Amino acid sequence: DTVPPQVVPGADPSARQLCFAWGPAEVLVCETLFGRAGGFRSRCLFRSPCPSRFWGEGTVGAAARALTGSVTGTGDGASGSSRVFVVRRDQDIYIQTLRKLFNESHGIFMGLQRSEEELAGKSRKAQLVQVSKNYRSVIRACMEDMHQAAVSTRDPALQGQYSTQVSILSAMELIWNLCEILFVEAATAGPLLLRLLDWVRLHVCDVDSMVREVLSSESPSKHKLFWNVVDVFVLQGRMDEARHLLSKEASANPASMNMYKILDDLMKKMPVPSLGNTQTLTELELKWQHWHEECQRYLQDGTFASNPHMESICKILLGDEDAILEKKELMTTWYHFLVTRLLYSHPTVKPMELRFYAQSSMDLFLGGESSPEPLDMILMAAFEFEMHQVIKECSIVLSNWWFVAHLTDLLDHCKLLQSHNLYFGSNMREFLLLEYASGLFSHHSLWQLGVDYFDHCPEYGRVYLELHIERIPLSTEQKALKVLRICEQRQMHEQVRSICKIMAMKALRNNRLGSALSWSIRAKDAAFATLISDRFLKDYCERGCFSDLDLIDNLGPSMLLSDRLTFLGKYREFHRLYGEKRFPEAARLLLTLMTAHIAPCSFWMTLLTDALPLLEQKEVIFSAEQTYELMRCLEDLTAGNPDKQKFQDDDVETTKVEMLRLALARNLARVIVKEGTMEGS
Amino acid sequence: QVSVINTVDTSHEDMIHDAQMDYYGTRLATCSSDRSVKIFDVRNGGQILIADLRGHEGPVWQVAWAHPMYGNILASCSYDRKVIIWKEENGTWEKTYEYTGHDSSVNSVCWAPHDYGLILACGSSDGAISLLTYTGDGQWEVKKISNAHTIGCNAVSWAPAVVPGSLIEQPSGQKPNYIKRFASGGCDNLVKIWKDEEGQWKEEQKLEAHSDWVRDVAWAPSIGLPTSTIASCSQDGRVFIWTCDDASGNSWSPKLLHKFNDVVWHVSWSITANILAVSGGDNKVTLWKESVDGLWACISDVNKGQGGVSAVTEGQQNEQ
Repeated sequence: DTVPPQVVPGADPSARQLCFAWGPAEVLVCETLFGRAGGFRSRCLFRSPCPSRFWGEGTVGAAARALTGSVTGTGDGASGSSRVFVVRRDQDIYIQTLRKLFNESHGIFMGLQRSEEELAGKSRKAQLVQVSKNYRSVIRACMEDMHQAAVSTRDPALQGQYSTQVSILSAMELIWNLCEILFVEAATAGPLLLRLLDWVRLHVCDVDSMVREVLSSESPSKHKLFWNVVDVFVLQGRMDEARHLLSKEASANPASMNMYKILDDLMKKMPVPSLGNTQTLTELELKWQHWHEECQRYLQDGTFASNPHMESICKILLGDEDAILEKKELMTTWYHFLVTRLLYSHPTVKPMELRFYAQSSMDLFLGGESSPEPLDMILMAAFEFEMHQVIKECSIVLSNWWFVAHLTDLLDHCKLLQSHNLYFGSNMREFLLLEYASGLFSHHSLWQLGVDYFDHCPEYGRVYLELHIERIPLSTEQKALKVLRICEQRQMHEQVRSICKIMAMKALRNNRLGSALSWSIRAKDAAFATLISDRFLKDYCERGCFSDLDLIDNLGPSMLLSDRLTFLGKYREFHRLYGEKRFPEAARLLLTLMTAHIAPCSFWMTLLTDALPLLEQKEVIFSAEQTYELMRCLEDLTAGNPDKQKFQDDDVETTKVEMLRLALARNLARVIVKEGTMEGS
Repeated sequence: QVSVINTVDTSHEDMIHDAQMDYYGTRLATCSSDRSVKIFDVRNGGQILIADLRGHEGPVWQVAWAHPMYGNILASCSYDRKVIIWKEENGTWEKTYEYTGHDSSVNSVCWAPHDYGLILACGSSDGAISLLTYTGDGQWEVKKISNAHTIGCNAVSWAPAVVPGSLIEQPSGQKPNYIKRFASGGCDNLVKIWKDEEGQWKEEQKLEAHSDWVRDVAWAPSIGLPTSTIASCSQDGRVFIWTCDDASGNSWSPKLLHKFNDVVWHVSWSITANILAVSGGDNKVTLWKESVDGLWACISDVNKGQGGVSAVTEGQQNEQ
């Protein structure tokens, strides 16, 4: 038993402790020493994680377990004291070949959520069985890809990884298939056996190569493994194939013709359940009883005594446990043994009777030599119809939530969880989906699938989405827009605002004022809009021109978001009017900006300076009243505000003020004359 | 299964006291007894040192990242009685504010929910808690709660922002009426809850259950339920989970999570508040998950043995 490697290699329990912090999708671990304000130091050891602990409310199965488990990590022996370890669970989402599994199962999941609930009875069941089959075919496709990857790689480590994945996927499909038969389709006595036979034939493949070898040999009946293959067929209930092979033996060995004919006949006549409703169970049982007795007679008469192989087959037909168990290596698993037993001793087995046969089969097969593995326990739980147990065990054993989340969801749609211990039922579905979807969020593109899963978790889906979606790094504008669209579609206003603010801040830091402004407008962030408008205005003062004119020109009603923004918009409008030589309008606007206090005081000087060219025009633009207003503004500016005392000291400013006073006075003179003249005439 | 996806060699010359990921998990800040605060870019399993911030004159105990909407801002607190706020400006990190109003080691810093603005709570060994609020233009306003905990305050943690009353979207520009609260833990063995009442911070609740210094408090993120949850851990080896069912915040009841054999130093919640991590106490870091309505689904009885989980496939030894 190897001690699992520690996350922090070389962690010294006698000297250090471990500090732990959550990241959005990972955890940080580093060595530290707590106890700064007089506390004492303790030992510590971080063993890598297994599933977590609960504090229970007296609920079923809740128990505590410390964080233990195994870790694949870098194992250098260097001192860990200056290192921080970033640790994550559920790294499966990063396996490229599993991508198909996640993407396609997402499609199936969504289809299931949207499917017709009005369909009742048989058609609904058929629909659900189809969904189950679809999931399984995705698993198989993935297995195929993984297998190809394993075969084509040269790197033995990778090959090992791929092979492991293939076995895990295979086990998943095995379990899912059984669940489909027992729970989704809920096969009844009769068809149940047929389904189980299919299941076994599909999944016990260890003998396939042997079968191929014998069948493709020149003279199969002379092959040393011939009888093994016949046995395999018999054990799997593949009567036609068995009989076919036997006929070859018979033709090669005429002495046993009699025996062969009888055996062949028995095998041909064996009553099996049929899928259609051509016979009732009672009829079948009756027929079977007769047939069983006939086989018994032949065996007791010693018909097959001279051919041990055939005799053994006859015993198998009679359901003789010992005879069947002798062929252990050909069956390889206890569940194969179970199905064979059922085929030959109780073909009309009812679903609820399975558990007894399953338990005894496992016991007989393992025979105390080996103990059951997790997979065995899961299958056993399924045979016992303990759905919750199946899910529980799978959760523990599998490295990510994919399997249990999707299977539980399907079972929930079959209305099976509710009938079982309904207190937990629907919550469990949601719980597993939440875990699965949360895991997807740490992936740079799979997070989008996670959104849909959260959407279908009625209780906590929304809040989980809110918490997770905020943590998606908005590395590009496109990604931000994508995230925004998702939030907007779901009326997640807080998140929209938050994201827009973050983007605005980013843009501002990169000096992209236009982008920053449009983001803050989208965020309805008045404060930020004011800040950015100030920057625009500052830029204008320094450079004499505006950047991002398009944006400012087309602000529209969003101009009203903040006073400063309104000013910015209007100020730009002033410039536009001036550029279009619409001087009277420009003049009016300019004045309004000051008198209506839209312009901040700090900007008045600039505005007045802007008024200069208008005052210097050949044509008189400002009316007398307007001129008086301007003068008043200037006086307010220079006299009233104590800050503006600075003006007195600054030469440039003083000159400007003088020029303005002069211009205003001249304008006044001209306009009085003009207005006087007009009134006169 | 868990894998180490990155190992950041910080090259701190002395003990690391705190390590925190930023909001998106792209940057890592660490602080140490070597008086420095370091920031690393850890995207894609890399580790690039972005900044080595010097300014503290003693061991730095904690770092905290502000919400990205305020830019890249990091707060640090130290034995040197200072709280420093660092900001990234034009690609470089600089000190943007330094608070020296405490008389003793500042042990804990925590940023308020971004909805409240940019506010930092700081707990100090001088028993006071200070609240630094950014008012604009590089200015910070300070409010101090003196004698919040006799002997010293070890931890502060903000409650998530929850708007009381209606959930209708507020008209733009209008600030909703948030009730600001935070929790603190101190050397008086108490956990206290503070509430902002018209600009003044008042002690709203005193939670008594620990028999020794409270080392850490953590207010769980909100998942939309009307209950509030706080975790506290103490020198007495106990971790309590405090829950309050009513919105007015009046009745808090403790539930003992576990009694460890040793001091418990640190508790923290995952972002969806479904897992609580506890560092310290009998030498482990343990993860705890609440079972809501009997939700036990994934993890259960200790019957798989310590030290690893067997692979699903039969006959295959555990390799992972």
